[in-house]
Parts: sequence; structure tokens; C-alpha cells
Amino acid sequence: MRIIGDTKIPFLSYRKIALSISALAIVGGLAYQFLGPGLNLGIDFVGGTQVTLKFRDQPDLSVLRSAIDELAAGTPTIQSFDEAEKNEVLIRIENPEGEEGDFATPILDFLNRDFNAEIGDSFDLNTNGSVNLTTLLVVADPDGMGGDDEARRVYYEPMAEAVFDYRNRTQAEHKGIFHSLDELANVEELSDSARAYLEANAAAGAFSLLGTESVGPAVGADLQKKALLAIGFSLVGMLVYIWIRFKLPYAVGAVAALFHDVLITLTAIAVTHREINLPTIAALLTLVGYSVNDTVVVFDRVRENLRLRRGEELESVMNLSINQTLSRTFITSGTTLVVVLSLYIFGGDVINTFAFVLLIGILVGTYSSIFVASPVALAMNRVLVSRRERRRLKGRR
Amino acid sequence: MDSKILWRVILILVVVALSVWSLYPPGEKIHYGLDLSGGIHLVLQVQTDDAIKAELDDSAQRLVSRAREEGLELSQGESNIDNLSFTVNVPADTDTAALRELAANWVPGYGASPGAGVWTFKLPPNMDRTVRDMAVRSSLETIWNRVDQFGVAEPVIQRQGLESDRILVQLPGVDDPARVKDLISSTAFLEFQEVVAGPAPERQSLLAAIGGVTPSDSEILTGDRQGLDGQVIGVDYYLLKKAAIISGQELRSARRSQDEYGQPVVNFATQPHAADKFGQYTGSHIGTRMAIVLDQKVISAPSIESRIPGEGRITGSFTIEDAEDLALKLRAGALPATIIYLEERTVGPSLGRDSVVRGVRAAVSGLLVVMLFMLVYYRLSGLNANVALILNIMILLGAMAYFGATLTLPGIAGVILTIGMAVDANVLIFERIREELRVGKTVRAAIDTGFARAFGTILDANLTTLIAALFLFNFGTGPIKGFAVTLSIGILASVFTAVFVSRTLYMIVLAGRERVESLSI
Repeated sequence: MRIIGDTKIPFLSYRKIALSISALAIVGGLAYQFLGPGLNLGIDFVGGTQVTLKFRDQPDLSVLRSAIDELAAGTPTIQSFDEAEKNEVLIRIENPEGEEGDFATPILDFLNRDFNAEIGDSFDLNTNGSVNLTTLLVVADPDGMGGDDEARRVYYEPMAEAVFDYRNRTQAEHKGIFHSLDELANVEELSDSARAYLEANAAAGAFSLLGTESVGPAVGADLQKKALLAIGFSLVGMLVYIWIRFKLPYAVGAVAALFHDVLITLTAIAVTHREINLPTIAALLTLVGYSVNDTVVVFDRVRENLRLRRGEELESVMNLSINQTLSRTFITSGTTLVVVLSLYIFGGDVINTFAFVLLIGILVGTYSSIFVASPVALAMNRVLVSRRERRRLKGRR
Repeated sequence: MDSKILWRVILILVVVALSVWSLYPPGEKIHYGLDLSGGIHLVLQVQTDDAIKAELDDSAQRLVSRAREEGLELSQGESNIDNLSFTVNVPADTDTAALRELAANWVPGYGASPGAGVWTFKLPPNMDRTVRDMAVRSSLETIWNRVDQFGVAEPVIQRQGLESDRILVQLPGVDDPARVKDLISSTAFLEFQEVVAGPAPERQSLLAAIGGVTPSDSEILTGDRQGLDGQVIGVDYYLLKKAAIISGQELRSARRSQDEYGQPVVNFATQPHAADKFGQYTGSHIGTRMAIVLDQKVISAPSIESRIPGEGRITGSFTIEDAEDLALKLRAGALPATIIYLEERTVGPSLGRDSVVRGVRAAVSGLLVVMLFMLVYYRLSGLNANVALILNIMILLGAMAYFGATLTLPGIAGVILTIGMAVDANVLIFERIREELRVGKTVRAAIDTGFARAFGTILDANLTTLIAALFLFNFGTGPIKGFAVTLSIGILASVFTAVFVSRTLYMIVLAGRERVESLSI
């Protein structure tokens, strides 16, 4: 089976149109980023606190909002996380200007006050963990074990862990939260009297904690610097590698394609209002690797063909090489796109932006290895190869 | 089978066997990162200024009290952290030679600059760094002790860099983040202090009782006022002697217990030398109040009813967890400086598990589509590539298990991406073989040339991705590092499987056949 046969498309003849389109996209993107709403830097880089919760029932967002507003910390964001029927909510606040500290705890305190008033002093099975439950059981000792703390701990710890194992089971219908104390009946490891004790003294609170992230200004600034350095160094690394393995014009072409890919992908991130966080940077760096990979395959063929067809114009050699590698380009982009797409669809909210960046990056990267890298390399070659050298080549011909 | 093929097959089998061996059983051998296992990641900063301040205050106090013993009426001025100096108020008629000698003996190394009525003493050069360094080291040790006693498996507690004041703490599997955060960051500086006056409901009434001015050897601290049922109903003010009777450092042990009403309390025992001091003090102060002060807050101020020898009990409005944690902190020791959180990430166990399930689902569906495509497009050669792909994933996971690399959520993405990129090497080779076949080469020659020509390209293309992965690793924090690692191993493994394994498979198929007319590609 073949998808792409022997093609003879004069790709480089379209370079003016292609480069114009790319330039337009880049300039438009930069304008959008700098003049418009700009890039949305996540808490990894600007600092802030983010709390992800799962509610037992559909939460009343207005109560949630008023609880958070009382914290009076910048403009809070409250949005639903993942699929709506899971009742998962993400809350993000800006940290007080320049301050370091623990800002997740106050959020949880306010939420506890507003959503868990009815459970009073009962032990909340949804916000506590196995350590606290073990302590509770060790002190209460519902099974009348007697002995010292350590002996009781050995006895009760597996029970406590089983309770939370049940709560956290992914496949279970009520993943991540207890809806009522009746569910304790499903925890086989729990002794009858321990279950009776919990039914009397515990409660299934309104929410459970999926995760918190809090980044202070010092770490944020640090990560920002590191991210810029990593991107900068990897670009330089690529430039040097290709310069050594090929020649300067090719290195310039490949790096131009890289800038092109990164800038356009950043624009796509900005337009879709996605956040730039650590995984986003990881995806951008991967994209850098992928894009060069694609370009190198074409350049490799150009180098080989130049050896085989001495004297032929670089432009036609490039066209030939792009056509020869075209089906490989499509197939590899296709297979990579398929896996990234499955990551985008099935990977969940946590990894979604990461997959999105790669998705856009692969499309743009494939385009640029044909329409940006080679034309720029060609143009650079024309500039760099001195008139005399060209004359010498002509004489030899 | 000729020996060349045999050796190749043996090598492949060895690699696969090693991978399977190091991977088995996968549940135990693959380490999940915090984002998959759930747990806590904290970056703390030790406020080393506190330690400097304590050093300056101590030195000033030492100098002043010694000077008074020698009859010089000095008084303590202020400590200045920015200038690394403290001041002492010196009356005009003071014997300056005697003061200089005292300073040389009791605050050695400090640079003294006399002024009108006020002398300034500057911290010895380099001492600044030593004090800060010691503060971070002993904080690290205290945090270790606390986490250790709390019983967390495989904790990571390390200083971020040699000179840094930052400490990284990673506690996998901990599902009570609030409790652990408090356990780690509270200073837990405990002192027993003499109550001069109080408790009083307001600062004003307390001051009125003692004539309006706080004596220089005393301080005003607050504590919760409890109702009869133990609920907090207000704040009480106490005037306490600054000098402690004994401090938390002088305790030998501390345990959570219950009093006769079932209220959680902490029982303690003091070290021998402190027992004498404590016994003497309590014996001579029966009927007066003694405050138990934790981190500048009065937790209770009971009346002394009898001489307390080496053992005693701390009461307060504790929950069970409070009492247990206080006992733990007293055993593990106080922090020499306050600690603040610079970064905090907690991942609940259900979110982590969810991520694993989703990641695996994405990987499997991606893998199936790619394999199906390769089979349809390249037929039997596609099967060859699929075998290589499966081996690639096995080697990747085996290598991760062997090196003890951590699998993170982005790491799973790295595995998935490897699937997509690993077939690239096979695609390069197959397309090249097809080209060679089209120009009329024999099957054997086409395969030889195809592999040979494609190899250079594969090398160049994969090295560039490796360079990117290298920078990624250097930049990375936990999850990102995991991604860089899987991507790098995946790339290396893909070169082996696509080039070496695929070639060997062709060799096996073609071996023993005199003439090969066609290739399923």
C-alpha cells in the first residue's frame, strides 16, 4: 500500500507564499501576545495557589465564590475540572503580592466552615487521611484491644488504609469521595465494632481534596528563568549540532523553523487561553526536538543527493529531497499525531495542554520542515557562498 | 541458521530477558512519582535571619549580664540584622578599658565601635555564613527526625544546593497533607516560664495591675481561654518572666496520653540536670502559676500544686492529633529558625490513580492504532516493525525499572510519544527499502542499502531529540525530569529495536532462501 507515490512538487517555488504566510502568522501571533490579552502564565511561573476539590453533590458555586471572596486574595478563578458530572472544581487565587507562605490551608478552612457545618465535630472521612483515622481508632479502641499504642496501631492501621483505599478506588462509581457512611459496609477489612464506631462518630463531608498547588514568587521567578534558559540552550544546542553535522546555512534554516514552530504554537496557546505551566514547557522542548528531527531527515537527503548529483542547482536538489522523503514525513507525522491525539482525548485534564501543544507543534513542525527550513537554508546559502566561490564552481563546470 | 544471525538473536534475547527480569513484577519495580502515587512535595525556606538575630541577641545578653557582674551598668540596645550588629547602651562614666576586655572575652571576634553612649558590636566576618549554614543543617536534621517518627516510607528530605537555605521535602503516599505541613513547619519551641501577673482578659487590665509598664525582664504573651467544656471562648493575657525555667531541649521524652477526664495531654520527662532545676523551682513556688509556652503562645498556665521532680504533664485544649504531634515534635527537637513554604504541591491519591488509568488508556489506544496502521501499510514488514515496537516498550520499561527511574504523568506521555516516534525509524528504513526496490534492486540488496542509508539519518534525527531531552532534564523538576528520562531511554531503545532487531528479523526470514523474489513491504 502507498499513500504518496512519486511526487515532483516544486515546493521551493512556493517559498515566497509560504514564508509570507508564516511571517504573517508569527507577526500576528506576537501582536496578539503583546498587544492583546497575552500569554496566560500559570502559577508555576507567576505564583499563586490552586486547589482541586471533588464535591459529594453538585456544589453551589455562589456559596463557593462567596467563601473564596472572603479570603480577599486577588481575583479568584473557580471553574469545573474534568467532566461536569464528576463535580470536580478547581479554585485558584493569586497570592498576596510578593508574599511566601501556605495559602492552601486558609482556602480549605473557609470551605470547611461553609460546606461542612452540619457534620460538626464528627471525623470527616473525605478530608482526612489514613494517618488521622489510625490515630482516631487507636485512641477510641472500639475492638477493646488494650495494650500500648504501638500494638493497637498495628491492629488498626490496615483498617484505616482499607477505608481510604475504598474511597480512592478509581473504577468505583463514587471515586474519590464517600457519599454516605453506608458505604463503609463495603469495606471488608473493617471490624464490626470499628464500623459501628465510625458510623456513630464519623461523617461523609461535602468535599474531598484532589490536590493543591501553591507556588511562591521566589520559586516562580526561578522556574521562569530556568524555562527560558532551557529553551534558549536547546535552541543553541540544535544550532551547533546541525552546524557541525551539516553546514551553517542548514543550521540557520533548522533553527528558523524551530523559532517558527515555537512562536506559532505559543500563539495557539494564547488564542485558546491555555495556561503555560511546567508541562507546557516540557511539551515545547519536545516539540523542538521533534521539529529538528523532521528537518534533519530532509537535510540528510539533501546532503546525500548533493553528493550524487554534483553541479545541480541546490534548489532542485532540495525539491527532489523533499519529494523523496515526503511519504516518510507524512507517515511519521501521522503515527505521532495519532498517539498524541489519543493522549489529547484520553489523557485527562491534567495532561491536556501538554497534548495540545504537541498536537499543534507536530502539525506546524511538519509544515515548517518543508516550507520554512529548506527555503531559509537556501537563502542563507546564497548569502554565504561568496561570489568568487560560485565563480570557481562555474569554471569547473 | 548461520552464526552471525545466531549471535544477533542471542543478544536480542539477552536484552529482552534482562528487561523482563528487571521489570518483574511490574507493580513493585516501577516507581511512581508523586503525581501518580499521591503525596506531598514541599520546598521550604529556613529563615536564617532568625538564627542571626538569635546569635546577636544571645551575644548582647551575654555581654550585658557579664558586665553587670563586673559592676558596669550596661543595658541591651538593639540587634540589627542588616548590619549584622547589636548595640549596647554605655553610660558616660563607664571604664572603657574594662568593657573592651569583657567584650574580647565574652563576645570574641566581634568588632566594637564606641559611640556617644552607645557601642556597636559587629558580627565577626564569615560568622554570618556559618550561623546561617548551621541553622539550615540543624533544621534539616530536625525535619528528618520528625518525618522519621511520623513514619513515612521513602521520604526525600534534602538541601537544594550546598549554600542554599532551601529544603526539599517529598513524602509519597501521605494523605493527610494539613497535618504533615503543620508537623514540619512549626518551630515547636517550648518553654516553661514564671507567671508574674495574669491571666487577664485585656492587655490594659494586665498592665494596670503591674503599674502600667512592662518590666525589662518580662514579656506579655497570650493564650486561648477555655470554657468549662474545653471550647475556646476568648484570649487571655499573661505577664511572664523572659528567662525560662526549663526549655523543650531539656526534655528527655514526651508521649501523648490522657488525663482522668479523657482529655488528651502530653506526658514528659526531663533530663537529669534539668530535673534538679525544675524540682527546685516548683518546690519553692507552690501555689503560683507556671506558663507552658509553645512558639510564643501560652498553651496553659496551671498552678503548681507540689514539687515536680523529673516528670510532668502538659495540658491544653488539644485534640488527639495535636497532643500526638506535640509529643512527636518535642521528641524530635525544635527548629532553630522559622520556616516558610516557597512551594507546595499535594496530589490526592484518587487523582494520581485516575491519571494512571487515563495514561494507560491513552497509551494502549495509541499503540493499537499505530500497530494496525503499520500492519496495513507495510504488511509483513509492518509486523516486523510491530515486534520491534513491542520490544522497544519492554526495554524502555525494563531500563526504567533497572535504573530506579520514576514514572510520572508526563513520563507516561513520554512513553506514548516514544511509541509514535519509535516507528519513525522503521518508517525511514522501509521507505528507503521501497525506493531501492523501485529502482530495480534485488530484495537483499534493497534491504542492505535501505538499512545502511537510513542509519545515518536515524542517528542524526534521534540525537537532536536527545539534545532536547538533555536540556529538559536539566531544567526539570520531578515530573518533567521523569518525562526527559523516559523520552531519552525510549529514543535509545528505538534505535536498537528499529535498526538491530528489525534487521535481524529480516535476516531470519531471508536466511536459507536461495532467491527472494519479493518482499512484503
